[in-house]
Amino acid sequence: MNSQSAVMVYEPQAAHAVSREEGLPGDFAIWIFIFAEMLAFGVLFVAYAFTRAGDVELFNASQQTLSQTAGAINTLVLITSSYFVVRGVAAIKRGLSEQCSWWLSGAVLLGGVFVAIKLVEFHGKFAAGISLSTNAFYMFYLALTFFHFMHVLMGMIILGCVIAKAQRGGYSARDHVGVETGASFWHMVDLLWIILFPLVYVIR
Amino acid sequence: MQNLIQSNSVSTGIWLVLAGLTLLTFSIGEAGMAGRQVMLGLLFIALVKGQMVANYFMGLRQAGFWWRALVLFYFLIVGGLIALAYLMGLD
Repeated sequence: MNSQSAVMVYEPQAAHAVSREEGLPGDFAIWIFIFAEMLAFGVLFVAYAFTRAGDVELFNASQQTLSQTAGAINTLVLITSSYFVVRGVAAIKRGLSEQCSWWLSGAVLLGGVFVAIKLVEFHGKFAAGISLSTNAFYMFYLALTFFHFMHVLMGMIILGCVIAKAQRGGYSARDHVGVETGASFWHMVDLLWIILFPLVYVIR
Repeated sequence: MQNLIQSNSVSTGIWLVLAGLTLLTFSIGEAGMAGRQVMLGLLFIALVKGQMVANYFMGLRQAGFWWRALVLFYFLIVGGLIALAYLMGLD
């Protein structure tokens, strides 16, 4: 083997190493995005907590108008959808494209359940005349949950694209970076809700 | 194949623990429990759940140490500042 053919052999491995930095699943770029999003939500979570410290009674009274049941069901829905995504990734690692797309479709379906429950919640609040300007609690509640809601929608679109490619046989046991990239984004959406639920709905 | 079955069993176990911890959080909220210990307990549950999702669902346990440390650091800083703000509100 001469030096030129050696380069040709090792080039794909080099590209692989760049996209899978230090064993991170999926494309490295998605992790930059994930950490940026987590930072943005983190600032909002902390801002909520410190604003609450200035008017605890208002925040506690307003929090009691929220449905903890809806929040808990949505947490279970997102956790279960994340589990489905894990199973989808496990399936594609065995080269089972059809099984992978079924698990991911289940996750998208649960994403739809989350969206439906959230829309009912939002409708209830808007029908009661509550808006961003009602008080500081509702401003944070609506901003945080709507911002997260948009991420759920984006996650559903990303998983939808991954499912479409999986159904066309676009992934294999060897090449499934796209599935892991979509999965990582979806897990981030779950991770953020894990903080959001106790913070906004439960802790008083 | 054996590894895969084992990995699916682990993820199923993690999912059940996450669901159990969610129900615990919900029960505490429904019981109307409040105060310093309850707040710290709820944040600790969120920390444990976050670590489980990051390490087992996102697959960070197979990534380099510093990536796992970064997520843990995030939870400790954000959770710590939230706890500090709530303690200020209790005074």
